Amino acid sequence: MFYRDRKEWADLEPVPQDDGPNPVVKIAYSEKFSDVYDYFRALLKKDERSDRAFALTAEAIELNAANYTVWHYRRVLLQALQKDLREEMRYITDIIEEQPKNYQVWHHRRMVVEWLNDPSEELEFIADILSQDAKNYHAWQHRQWVIQEYKLWDNELEFVEKLLEEDVRNNSVWNQRHFVISHTTGYSSPAILDREVQYCLNQIRKAPHNESAWNYLKGILQDRGMSSHPGLLEQVLELKETHCSPYLLAFLVDCYEDALENNNQKETLNRALEVCEYLAQEKDTIRKEYWLFLQRSLESRFGPSFDPTVNYCAVYY
Amino acid sequence: MLSPLQLEEFEQIDFLRDRHVRFFQRTLQVLPERYASLETTRLTVMFFAVSGLDVLDALDVIDRNNMIEWIYSLQVLPTEDQSNLSRCGFRGSSHIGIPYSVKGPGVLHPYDSGHVAMTYTGLTSLLILGDDLSRVNKQACLAGLKALQLEDGSFCAVPEGSENDIRFIYCAACICYMLDDWSGMDIQKAIEYIRGSMSYDNGFGQGAGLESHGGWTFCAIASLCLMGRLEEALSQRELDRIRRWCIMRQQSGFHGRPNKPVDTCYSFWVGATLELLDVFQYTNYEKNRNYILSTQDRLVGGFAKWPDSHPDPLHAYLGLCGLSLIGEPNLRKVHPALNITQRAFQHLQQLQQTWRDNAGTCT
Repeated sequence: MFYRDRKEWADLEPVPQDDGPNPVVKIAYSEKFSDVYDYFRALLKKDERSDRAFALTAEAIELNAANYTVWHYRRVLLQALQKDLREEMRYITDIIEEQPKNYQVWHHRRMVVEWLNDPSEELEFIADILSQDAKNYHAWQHRQWVIQEYKLWDNELEFVEKLLEEDVRNNSVWNQRHFVISHTTGYSSPAILDREVQYCLNQIRKAPHNESAWNYLKGILQDRGMSSHPGLLEQVLELKETHCSPYLLAFLVDCYEDALENNNQKETLNRALEVCEYLAQEKDTIRKEYWLFLQRSLESRFGPSFDPTVNYCAVYY
Repeated sequence: MLSPLQLEEFEQIDFLRDRHVRFFQRTLQVLPERYASLETTRLTVMFFAVSGLDVLDALDVIDRNNMIEWIYSLQVLPTEDQSNLSRCGFRGSSHIGIPYSVKGPGVLHPYDSGHVAMTYTGLTSLLILGDDLSRVNKQACLAGLKALQLEDGSFCAVPEGSENDIRFIYCAACICYMLDDWSGMDIQKAIEYIRGSMSYDNGFGQGAGLESHGGWTFCAIASLCLMGRLEEALSQRELDRIRRWCIMRQQSGFHGRPNKPVDTCYSFWVGATLELLDVFQYTNYEKNRNYILSTQDRLVGGFAKWPDSHPDPLHAYLGLCGLSLIGEPNLRKVHPALNITQRAFQHLQQLQQTWRDNAGTCT
């Protein structure tokens, strides 16, 4: 039954949308949709704080869960009417399960968790959402917020390892690994760093064509001396024979570049230039122009400098 | 003389300009109810269509003046007593129920306020349509913008509160850039938030600790470029690392995160970032073009994220911008940071020159 025909709503004058004489990107709403929202607008104008308003917000949300004004008004009512927040948690859980890629629903959940000051359901809930889409950005964002806000670090590395076993190419999980470790033990201890390096190399042996693993390896070493980590270069060169990939080769170039910065040797430069050539011509041809550009750049930075003001012939006289 | 089969093959990779023009025209008219979730963001949808028509050099098919009036009806203006200054800007649509009006004073309403992405797309749309922004209350917009920035440098979307992240820093930077007035934001804090969003893998996430992503990387780099602080905020080493992260996103077209499928919109988000970093020239144009065109809807026009999927205004617009970046013939060039055509950008520059000249002659 339309709100306009309900006698308990007869005191309220519905407010239609007014786009003027030349509406743009107009959405053609059904009578039912317009009826609900005409009454929503009426409630909003009066800033009515009532149970009937609260009930209507649920209908408005069902029709358009992306309307942030409806969610804000619902939160105002939740507080003004002292509604049961546990029940609201159940409500928002159902909505997120239906629409897990909507910004407003996750923000609403965060607000309710904050009001309750109770994160106890969160990790399990998010795990369930991730079981349906393991890369849902909103889910990972909410997870990081909960963990950081309520210091729920204890079991997260275990969660990460489980997900990496399920899909070692899930980039969101590798990111989470870095998030957990950098906020707990950190990477400064040689024992931890070495553990992580070995973990990466093991995952690479199992699935060589995995940019995420190589990005993580480079990420944890790039400011700690890529070329100075004991035995790493040798391990990578070994892997090159049996588990090659564009990412391995790019990593090699970066190792050589790091070495050159500390000790500019012609042999190192030549190796770096060779790998760039190999990438450009054979192993990563889609980025051919980039690898050639990098090659020129390395040559220019570390190669023998040609000074045009010197008459090289004159040196021999 | 081409055989019928050869003609058909030629059409397969052909860019169907007229279909896209009609796609955007229809977008600007009426959308069916299943697009209800776009209600509060209708102004951004208008931007996609209007800027898309500009890229296609087809703005003549629409009534610019009527559209300009509609945009101005979405401006949240100061009330008589100016008590709502921190809520000013532009709305996404008429969904709150304020009666149509293109001039002030503003109407007092407990829940009416601007949205940072709507203020941004409202201003760009006005510029594209040739308006001179003379009816924009700039001081009110900037006051509304200032109210949205948080301690950590990021922005919320609305004064009532919302999620906060790097997307809205980009919107804020565009607004300040267009209005030629950076008093609407604390640049230093914004830069700190941007830097803090850089991931271990050298892309940018939506915030600190979050997974790097092509869209947020665009927001980061484009914001710094608009602020004129790219090389101040990031070292050469960091810039090289970011270039590498971005260029690795090309698979055929581009994806937004490692090990995710490609999607037409990233041809712009990542492509424009690479252009701002001077290395877009080293990408593979042919493979990029072929992917974008494979997502073209040959019947209704527009582009989708993937082949054989439904087109939508965002992917239609960004697909065009992706093609523009690689120099597709008969498409206008796009300013990679502000995401409007160079033509619209020149109009902005002329306007700003006029403002400076007028400011100089004020007594």
